[in-house]
Amino acid sequence: MDQSVRSDETGAATGSAAGRRGPAARPRVVLEGVGKEFPSSGGHGLTVLDDIDLVIEDREFLSIVGPSGCGKSTLLRLISGLMPPSRGRVLVDGAVVTGPPPDVGFMFQRDTLMPWATVAQNIGLGLELNGTPKGAHEARIAELLDLLGLAKFRDFLPAALSGGMRQRVALGRLLAYAPALYLMDEPFGALDAMTKMAMGRELLRIWSRYDKSVVFVTHDIEEAVGLSDRVVVMAAHPGRIVSEYVIDLPRPRDFRAVRLLPEFRALCETIWRDIGVE
Amino acid sequence: MTSPSIETSAAIDTSPSITDTRGRPATRAGWFRLAAERIAVVAAAIAVWELAARTVIDPFWISSPSLVGVRLWQLAVSGDLLWHAQATVWQALLGSALGLVCGVAIGALLARYSRVAAAVDPILMGLYSLPRIALAPLFIIWFGIGLLSKVMMVFSFVVFIFLLNTMQGLRAVDPDLVDLMRSMRATPAFIARRVQLPSILPWLVTAARISVGLALIGSVLGELLGANRGLGWYVEHASGRLDTTGVFAGLVALMVIAVALNTLVDLAERWLVPARP
Ligand SMILES: Nc1ncnc2c1ncn2[C@@H]1O[C@H](COP(=O)(O)OP(=O)(O)OP(=O)(O)O)[C@@H](O)[C@H]1O
Ligand SMILES: [Mg+2]
Repeated sequence: MDQSVRSDETGAATGSAAGRRGPAARPRVVLEGVGKEFPSSGGHGLTVLDDIDLVIEDREFLSIVGPSGCGKSTLLRLISGLMPPSRGRVLVDGAVVTGPPPDVGFMFQRDTLMPWATVAQNIGLGLELNGTPKGAHEARIAELLDLLGLAKFRDFLPAALSGGMRQRVALGRLLAYAPALYLMDEPFGALDAMTKMAMGRELLRIWSRYDKSVVFVTHDIEEAVGLSDRVVVMAAHPGRIVSEYVIDLPRPRDFRAVRLLPEFRALCETIWRDIGVE
Repeated sequence: MTSPSIETSAAIDTSPSITDTRGRPATRAGWFRLAAERIAVVAAAIAVWELAARTVIDPFWISSPSLVGVRLWQLAVSGDLLWHAQATVWQALLGSALGLVCGVAIGALLARYSRVAAAVDPILMGLYSLPRIALAPLFIIWFGIGLLSKVMMVFSFVVFIFLLNTMQGLRAVDPDLVDLMRSMRATPAFIARRVQLPSILPWLVTAARISVGLALIGSVLGELLGANRGLGWYVEHASGRLDTTGVFAGLVALMVIAVALNTLVDLAERWLVPARP
């Protein structure tokens, strides 16, 4: 029944964030009192995350901003089940995370590509691992290469690409995997302003068209506000959530045009002021 | 006097493929130039050798390229060359194959269980450093005088090379790449095939390159201690009769085989490890 609700809304994809979210929708991710410590040389552990409570709704676009070292990447790793929390629990789709849950895709901060595989093979990995039938790979890879502006580089090895191009390949692999929950760790960090704009638009299109949830880590407050339903601000030592902003800008949004809205400017200003930058 | 010059020429001749496998000539013209340079170096070494044998040093001590050439021709025509070379190469290949399989298997286990690896490290290094020549008599007692003792001698050289390279290669695997695949719920078998295996291929090619020389040494060493066949046996036999030409003929045959096997490794590398620009 959940299914039918979703498919009804897939075509529309126009409502505001609030309207799009059905009241019965189950949260996609729940963090309850999550803490993470790493062993440090001093003997007692280094507290990287402290008492994190966070709920990520189904079909929500959530951004996390915060200073370097505040534990953003660690938080994504906990959600992805790649490492266990030291305290508290993490639930994805209602199940306690003990290992990588199904239907969750993770784009690392560092573009982690297979150095011996071509661009097409690296993107194809996402298709292999989500069980796309072999016959459909070729067409889907070509589609993604076009989308990412990498068609000419199909058979290149990663070492022959620029940093921004490698990041696009990693993005392509994630889009190929097409999970229900996207964990994206500074996915646009190495992109130039123009490509960033194109990728941002594409991400918004995919997110609103298919029933995706996104957790988006970034340093860039404008980027976070432009994309998200909600922005979470973290602080370091220990890593914790200090504030949260609901972004009620209209949807569908254009990643660039939205920046011209006075509400957009006001939201960004509020966040800047709250984190102590005048 | 002149035999060092042969060794020098061999070293110069092969060093580009030992030290700098990525420095392959990019163009056809480049290939021809490199081939011409290599041939020139070998020719120069042979010329110096021949000249020395004809002028200053009695060929009784150092033979001469023409004498060696005639001897190799005779051996080739009579079929003796093939007979001996076959034995030496076959032992080297069998021992290397066994060393590769066991070395990779043990290396993979030790990379997986690092505490075991730490525990057995001293004994491994101890065994690795043992002078095989001292072990050779034991090998004959254990494995007899036939094929097996030679194969095991080769194995004792080669297995450590593959073991250590496999271990190092697996430790150098990018942990993020493994994590990335895990996040997409790839099975351990899938990850082994798609991450670990391609990551260690360059290490295995390096191991194979080192093993070519060691396998021939092991094979010849096995023959020196008891055999009736093989290039090692032939060299030993010739030197017993003070037949310098026979000794050099055997050594030249061994060098040619080493270079040929090394070329095979190069070809395998080109096929297995895509060039990274
Ligand atoms: N595997 C680990 N072992 C030990 N300490 C770690 C580990 N991973 C992260 N840390 C520590 O946790 C802290 C937070 O790291 P994390 O990578 O989550 O920060 P971040 O918010 O993503 O920073 P950035 O914006 O620079 O990417 C850092 O102080 C780091 O040293
Ligand atoms: Mg980070």
